[in-house]
Amino acid sequence: MPENPPKDSGTWILALDSVLRAAVGERELVHLIEAPTLLDVPISPPYCRQVLVWNENLLPAMDLAAWLRPGEPVQRRWPLAGVFGYQTKPGAEPAYGALLLAGIPERARTADSQACALLKQPARWRTLAISCFKRGDHPIPILDLPHLFTGGLLTAV
Amino acid sequence: MNGRTQTWLGALRETRNFTLLTLDGYAWLLPQTEVQALEAAPDIDPEVRVPQSVGAITFAGEWWPVYCLSGELRLLPQIPAGRRVCPLLDNGADRFGLVCDQVETLVKPSRLYPVPACMVPPDSPIQALTLLDRGLGCVTATEYIARLIAAAGERADA
Repeated sequence: MPENPPKDSGTWILALDSVLRAAVGERELVHLIEAPTLLDVPISPPYCRQVLVWNENLLPAMDLAAWLRPGEPVQRRWPLAGVFGYQTKPGAEPAYGALLLAGIPERARTADSQACALLKQPARWRTLAISCFKRGDHPIPILDLPHLFTGGLLTAV
Repeated sequence: MNGRTQTWLGALRETRNFTLLTLDGYAWLLPQTEVQALEAAPDIDPEVRVPQSVGAITFAGEWWPVYCLSGELRLLPQIPAGRRVCPLLDNGADRFGLVCDQVETLVKPSRLYPVPACMVPPDSPIQALTLLDRGLGCVTATEYIARLIAAAGERADA
């Protein structure tokens, strides 16, 4: 057994639509909601038009595929919503937000050696991701959840 | 939630009674104290106009400009079919009518929720969200609607 085994960590791979994939840390996904009931919020951006009720809180429900491909038709019904926890700074109380998902998240283990350059297309990946890793031939961006859920996309691009 | 958000949410929670305005199916709640009167839409005189308004209504011997907004709070140049009632809003600084689909005069939301930061910019007219029997309600105030109308007027003048 090597003295310093290569560092690896658990991730969840998320289906943002039928094609787009992204990842989060294994501790960031805290709950899955099947056929979520979504409530429309007026004057909100096309990628975040709805909220859902979870644990007596209203969480934003974000459609990252709509953010990545602006101008394309927005999906109105989703089979799943993932509830994700994040911290805005170390030691802060956890906060929560939801991402709309096209399928059940897949668990994977990733190692530092899998790090790769961020996908060039869609160009808006750079506003969402903190890094990227390769799984087989496919680069999978890792989402910056605090940035997404604290309004980072409102001022991006 | 930052300190400023907590302060105004605390202030809103002191407002126990709201009036619910329905615009294109969206529920908007305003503090009940800001609703001076309810008038019928047919009483709007479309000949008496100020910029951006759809007419005016006389109340207490004065003309009140009347505006028409979509459910997304965009100014509409004409009154859509189905708008039947016109609450007159007065917060001491701004006074105008807003033609609506429906108005419920006494609504007591069980809880007000902060608006998620990723959904609206800081200057949004939505100050809080609440769950109603019929779905979601957005809490706002006359001040924010007046700002929207003024901003639309400035854009039209530019």
